[in-house]
Amino acid sequence: MTSPSPIGNTPIIYTPATIADQLVTNIGSDQSLMATLEEQISSGNLVNVPSDNPVEAANILQINSSLARAAQYSDNATDGLGWLSQGNATMNQIISTLQQVQQDVLSVSGANLAGNSTALQALASQVESAREELVQLSNTQYEGQAIFAGTGNVTAAYDANGDYLGGGSAPTRTVSPGTQVAVAVTGPSVFGTGSTGLLGNSTGNIGVLAQISADISTGTTSSLNQATTTDLQNLQNAINQVESQASVLGAAYQQMQAFSQQASNSQTALQTELSGVQSTNIAQVSTELTQAQNSYQEALWAASKVSQNSLVQFLS
Amino acid sequence: MGDIGLNIAVSGLLAQQAAMDVIAENLANTNTPGYVSETADLVTTPGSDPLGIGDGVTTAAVTQASDGLLQTNLLQAQGAQSLSASLEQALSGVQAAFPEPSETGLAEQLSSFWQAWDGIVQDPSALAPRTAVVDLAQNLASSLQQGAEQLQELQTNSQSQLGNVVDQTNTLLSQVAQLNTQIVAVEGSGAPANSLIDQRNNLMNELSGDIGAVGRVMPDDTMTVTVGGVTLVQGSFADTLSVTGSPGSMVIQTQTSDATVPPAGGTAAGLLAAINQYLPQYQQQLDTTANDLETTVNTQLAAGYTATGASGSTEPLFTGTGAAGISVNSAIVNNPQLIAASSTATLPDATNDGGNAQAMAELGTSPTGPDQAYRTFIESMGAQLQNVQNQVQSQTSVVNAAQQNLQAVAGVDPDQQMVSMLNYQQVYEASAKVISTISTMVDSLMAAT
Repeated sequence: MTSPSPIGNTPIIYTPATIADQLVTNIGSDQSLMATLEEQISSGNLVNVPSDNPVEAANILQINSSLARAAQYSDNATDGLGWLSQGNATMNQIISTLQQVQQDVLSVSGANLAGNSTALQALASQVESAREELVQLSNTQYEGQAIFAGTGNVTAAYDANGDYLGGGSAPTRTVSPGTQVAVAVTGPSVFGTGSTGLLGNSTGNIGVLAQISADISTGTTSSLNQATTTDLQNLQNAINQVESQASVLGAAYQQMQAFSQQASNSQTALQTELSGVQSTNIAQVSTELTQAQNSYQEALWAASKVSQNSLVQFLS
Repeated sequence: MGDIGLNIAVSGLLAQQAAMDVIAENLANTNTPGYVSETADLVTTPGSDPLGIGDGVTTAAVTQASDGLLQTNLLQAQGAQSLSASLEQALSGVQAAFPEPSETGLAEQLSSFWQAWDGIVQDPSALAPRTAVVDLAQNLASSLQQGAEQLQELQTNSQSQLGNVVDQTNTLLSQVAQLNTQIVAVEGSGAPANSLIDQRNNLMNELSGDIGAVGRVMPDDTMTVTVGGVTLVQGSFADTLSVTGSPGSMVIQTQTSDATVPPAGGTAAGLLAAINQYLPQYQQQLDTTANDLETTVNTQLAAGYTATGASGSTEPLFTGTGAAGISVNSAIVNNPQLIAASSTATLPDATNDGGNAQAMAELGTSPTGPDQAYRTFIESMGAQLQNVQNQVQSQTSVVNAAQQNLQAVAGVDPDQQMVSMLNYQQVYEASAKVISTISTMVDSLMAAT
């Protein structure tokens, strides 16, 4: 009896120990494959740990980060739309208040009211209260922040004297990489400054509305003339200014809506990309799982039969 | 003449008996690790008969199946497999410490942190969004610290494991040296030392798995054990190993000559790779993430101003160095209004300005920031672990193949033994038949005289 050599044509002899080792290895690898597939099905994710697919794992982190950014852009745009609709509504109120004043002044020019002190005083006080209303509107807040104060003052844009309290630039929101859209306009750009400003300013100018009120209140022919010519022209200029700023806000609103739409579109696109990379293809994986289960059962069956047949049984 | 015939038949009986003993020994050791199948070497006894008839058969020796290089191949395969397996264990620990992709991982925390700055933009003077940024910054700092601690813990564990492996190796080395002495003594007395050699092979199996040791049988049947070219056991002498150095340059040394032992395989090699190469690399990548975060955030803050127009350079958000040392500036924790959210120092514009916070929020998507550093860490760690996992798989099949090759010559195959047993049994019965026939022949001769 000589031992067979593994070199040459001698077939490999499988001893029970070898066969058992191999079966255990096979059962082990079948089991780990099943565990992987089961995790993919139960978590719904193809990549559960970085070693599953390192490149895709990094890719998923990147997509998740972009997704969070897109969600934030969407949130920023929603906040901006809130500011802008508040701004637009306030602008409309300002314009209608100013148009009312315009009507009042025109009514002076239409009738000879010189000397009719009662009517003139009534008109003057109407203009005065319009001014007060305008001061209030200038301090309109959105979520606790004065919308015409730029980035300057938190709660108010103008004091009762018509002094501007805010800053020189309007707040913006980031709505897309590197893109900021203004969500308000500053007080001076709407209300003007100096003697031609609606509310006057700190250097002692009383402003267009107070001037109209004063000229009507004075009631002389020349002051009424002043009210219906220079003052009315100044008022018209101011209304034009407000309307142009209203259209700026309106355009910003439309732009903001477009960016909001774009942000939610890119969220959808990123979600699709993520699920393409990350999500388990249930049909495919469950088929693979069935195959793995079959091969596991076959390995178990083979293990149960190991060494049942041996020459020993046939010798007696 | 009948006398001689009887003696020949008896030698046949004795030889078959000895061979049956070997079969019994083989079968009894079928499942014994390290056992090498034995064969009874039967040889003809030359006789003095003028016709040239021999004096029967004797058992010259019981020899072990010669496995040539197969044993060495298996040892090397086992060494390589143990290396990858121990490395896989260490790297799996790292992967478990950084569960990505997940809803709670560091990547998600980083991204929430950046988005929170846009919360400040939406209401720069309010406290709530600033507190949110501070909270998220603290979460980030503590996650980075935890990550660094876990890496440190894995480093400590790997080192103590290496210590255990080296201790065990020392025990095995001295056992091999003892067996060398015993084998020389037993063989000196003329007896074969097969079972001692089996024991020694078994120890070599463990040694190759532990430290990638290679054994070479010398002409005097002692085994010389080397690791990476350094001789550790020679004859009855066994060297003692110890671990010295610090992570990054940790080495295994011999006691006698302080020679560095470079394990080519085995658990020790895997642990050394984790200790010196992988874990320090991950620690460094995590530190880079932390330092990038600190630099990026603090630099942007320094470009901004507080609501009162004070420069942000005096109040950084993060302080400390590396992932283990990063923390949030306590002055900002106590007063989040110190966060320089404004991009202008001019008053009153700075009062409610979020321009700097707005710029900060955009930094999360920067291709060079901490997010990218962290993704690089996760990707390289995942790739290395995947690679090691693949190696474990392929090396397991290499070990299986080497085992099969070795088993083919050294293993006990019961079927084969059964066939041999039948041969011996038949020859035994035939020899007995010869004795009874000679006996009948002698009887008939006696009766005739």
